Amino acid sequence: MASMRVFCASRSAQNLMFRVFRPGSFATFATKSHWKDVSREDIDMSAKGIARRSATTFFFIELFKGFGVVFGMIFKEPATINYPFEKGPLSPRFRGEHALRRYPSGEERCIACKLCEAICPAQAITIEAEERADGSRRTTRYDIDMTKCIYCGFCQEACPVDAIVEGPNFEYSTETREELLYNKEKLLSNGDKWEAEIAANLQADYLYR
Amino acid sequence: MSKYIEKFNNLRTIIKANGGLKGSFLQLYRTDELKIGDFVGEDKYGNKYYQNKYYFVGRSRWVQYVDKVNMDYDGSQIPAEWHRWLHYTTDDPPTKVPPVEREWIEPHTENMSGTPQEYVPYSTTKPKIESWIPPRKS
Repeated sequence: MASMRVFCASRSAQNLMFRVFRPGSFATFATKSHWKDVSREDIDMSAKGIARRSATTFFFIELFKGFGVVFGMIFKEPATINYPFEKGPLSPRFRGEHALRRYPSGEERCIACKLCEAICPAQAITIEAEERADGSRRTTRYDIDMTKCIYCGFCQEACPVDAIVEGPNFEYSTETREELLYNKEKLLSNGDKWEAEIAANLQADYLYR
Repeated sequence: MSKYIEKFNNLRTIIKANGGLKGSFLQLYRTDELKIGDFVGEDKYGNKYYQNKYYFVGRSRWVQYVDKVNMDYDGSQIPAEWHRWLHYTTDDPPTKVPPVEREWIEPHTENMSGTPQEYVPYSTTKPKIESWIPPRKS
């Protein structure tokens, strides 16, 4: 009879079925406390209930409850950070603005091997090299088009002398496009400005490189 | 009730630490935030750095930009050595672990875009093509 119970629409219909098909088995369904009413509750149609519902609509009670929630949120600690004063966490491997580094003596590291230029998937790097007066090979042009760069970090991985690195700085947005066409002097001055942090980040990560 | 008294006392402490009602108002006007924390250090440009681990990571370290810049504070005004600590890359401020010192390290500059000191790209090589200068008949 279990399947019967499922398909029967209502208790009375089931009772009717029982009466028709098995008149003698009525006593087995005397207790029906396991039934659960899942239908929507009946709307209170008494005068008090109607008055309460109309008052809720009429006085915008739900709106004011919402205002209450908003007001309470003012006193809670915010989940956002207050950017120029507080900043989010960065990894020592963060790949931001490029920089050309120098040796502790002040000699520039880049030897114009052009490995970074070769590996750059966006072809953002342009290098020209010449022999310097003292006979060492150095770049005369080291341009990075920061608008082409995809910040993949291949250049710093390709570099055999740790000359080109992607520093930790990401606050170099510009007002014009041409300011993002970095030349060698700009990259070297980036390196000079950020050396303290670049060196510390490389030191923090050297076991994994 | 004691909970609310405690909160009120906290508010009083914070207002007092920010320099009274007037100071707190100015601080709120400038940074939209009233906080209390331990002074960690000051960089050579006058920016002061604070920490309070009561706040979660991301809010637990903050900078008070030097008064000179007033409302023209910018994220790029933080020098490299403090930048690392402020971004939680390390827990040691440069006052505890001094950064490398090189004589060729340049002073920090903020992002100069939009000012007369902005970077303008130029070629660092001699041009490969030279324009023809017509010979002059004297």
